Amino acid sequence: MLELKDLHGGYGKIQILNGTSFKIPPASITTVIGPNGAGKSTVFKAVFGLLNITSGQILMDGQDVTRRTPKQMIDAGVTYVPQGRNVVPQLSVYHNLELGGITSNNQARVRDRIEQVMDQFPMLRQFKDRKAIELSGGQQKQLEVARTLLLDPKLILIDEPSIGLSPNLVQEVFRTLQALRDQGVTILMVEQNAKSALAMSDYGLVLELGQTRMHDAADKLLADPRVGHLFLGGHIEEEETA
Amino acid sequence: MAEFIQILISGLSAGSIYALAAVGFTLLWQASQTINFAQGEFVMLPAFFVLALTVKLGLPLPLAIILAIFLSVLLLGAVFKKLVVEPMIQHGTLPLVIATIALGLLLKEGVKEFYSPLGQPFPSLFPQDVLSVFGAAVSIPDIANFVIAMGTIIGLQLFLARTRTGRCMQATAQNPDVAQILGVDIKKMVLYTFLINGALAAIASVLITPIYLAKFSNGEVLGLVAFIAAIVGGFNQIRGALVGGLLIGVIDNLSAGYVSAEYRQAVPMLLLIFVILVRPQGLLGTSEGRAV
Ligand SMILES: Nc1ncnc2c1ncn2[C@@H]1O[C@H](COP(=O)(O)OP(=O)(O)OP(=O)(O)O)[C@@H](O)[C@H]1O
Ligand SMILES: [Mg+2]
Repeated sequence: MLELKDLHGGYGKIQILNGTSFKIPPASITTVIGPNGAGKSTVFKAVFGLLNITSGQILMDGQDVTRRTPKQMIDAGVTYVPQGRNVVPQLSVYHNLELGGITSNNQARVRDRIEQVMDQFPMLRQFKDRKAIELSGGQQKQLEVARTLLLDPKLILIDEPSIGLSPNLVQEVFRTLQALRDQGVTILMVEQNAKSALAMSDYGLVLELGQTRMHDAADKLLADPRVGHLFLGGHIEEEETA
Repeated sequence: MAEFIQILISGLSAGSIYALAAVGFTLLWQASQTINFAQGEFVMLPAFFVLALTVKLGLPLPLAIILAIFLSVLLLGAVFKKLVVEPMIQHGTLPLVIATIALGLLLKEGVKEFYSPLGQPFPSLFPQDVLSVFGAAVSIPDIANFVIAMGTIIGLQLFLARTRTGRCMQATAQNPDVAQILGVDIKKMVLYTFLINGALAAIASVLITPIYLAKFSNGEVLGLVAFIAAIVGGFNQIRGALVGGLLIGVIDNLSAGYVSAEYRQAVPMLLLIFVILVRPQGLLGTSEGRAV
């Protein structure tokens, strides 16, 4: 579904991705883990057309989508939920949702979809006329997840959705993602919360220094002692040479 | 009492025109971090477009005004963005500020050099009659100016709040990163902001110039007042700029009427100092108005 081939790129002259390669199958959930600064968020930016790519290729369903603009990626069926807070603070919750479908030529359909996602996230209906800034951090994240569904994407890039969410809400978001996967949506997710994220994923991918270090079925990665070690602050090489 | 009403109404009328300039100023800041110190000259210049079109080319006034607004949208909006803001903002906010100061001087000296250093009479748009309201003599131009300026600002507010394009402009101003990842054409939205500012400046220009004369130096006070009104209002809100403009207009007229015409110039400054000391985020400003 999505394939990265030897991707290099970064910010200005700073190179962050040093030959990132991986391939994820359709209708699956893949969790990307790795230490802080490994380039996890940068990979997402690269796919979504927000990074200066120096070499390498990004393929979607076999088609070259390298160096597309964000708008073109949206049109190709990709949506992106970045790390952190991503709402328009002074617009209402409803109008934030509406922005999720702003590129659509069928606004009547977008309005229907807004009603559907508000059924799915009743909190959003309750607060639909409030300014987004007035929501709690967890509620804002739910808004972002809901907003990403309006265009019925084929691929969702979601960066650390669990930050600021209560454990209950994290499970809720994970369930939403699994339901989407069951409907055929492909999900690529970054999570700090690696254990519970891998537990709900199909595949796991370890990224370090802008390169793919491990890529396997999620349960295999969960059972791998090197992964456990990684989360105690070590590096994979140390483990391999040790 | 009659005198007070009179002064209040002419204050609101002048203030609503200041508000036009202040709102444009605020919009540019929100959308592109442009602090436009040429804003006063942007309000000075369109009156000269009108004069050039009527006096030199002999066009009828209404047509000249429409063309002048058009020219302002083009030159003070699109061309300003392309030739001044885009090249300079890459070097930072400060170089851009300096560039706008230079542009203001250029426009001022240009008009002085190529049109006239003398104040030019400017045709009044409305009958110079006076209405009696509760015993107060209220001039029709004052009322008409107020209605047009407020109508323009309210219309703009409605556009920003009630249309999808307006909301995309808000999203671009408040959180450009999010706007971009949702597929909003943020470059186009920023351009719209510049075009709107050009139109606001032109409208302010044709409303305010009949009160004085068209003169190259008109922008000095106007720019300062717009700047102060924007800060007083909180810098990041249209409503704030509106309140700031009205407040300055009223206070200015009241102090000219009851204190001294000589010191009126100092009044907006005093208001500015007062607001900065008491409420640094501005009267209606919020400290978290801009999330990045
Ligand atoms: N806009 C930017 N400009 C320059 N450098 C950046 C920028 N964003 C990130 N970086 C740098 O790129 C490297 C990788 O950052 P990235 O955000 O991809 O890491 P990450 O794996 O997502 O980390 P985290 O777990 O902290 O989110 C870091 O060294 C970071 O400092
Ligand atoms: Mg990250």
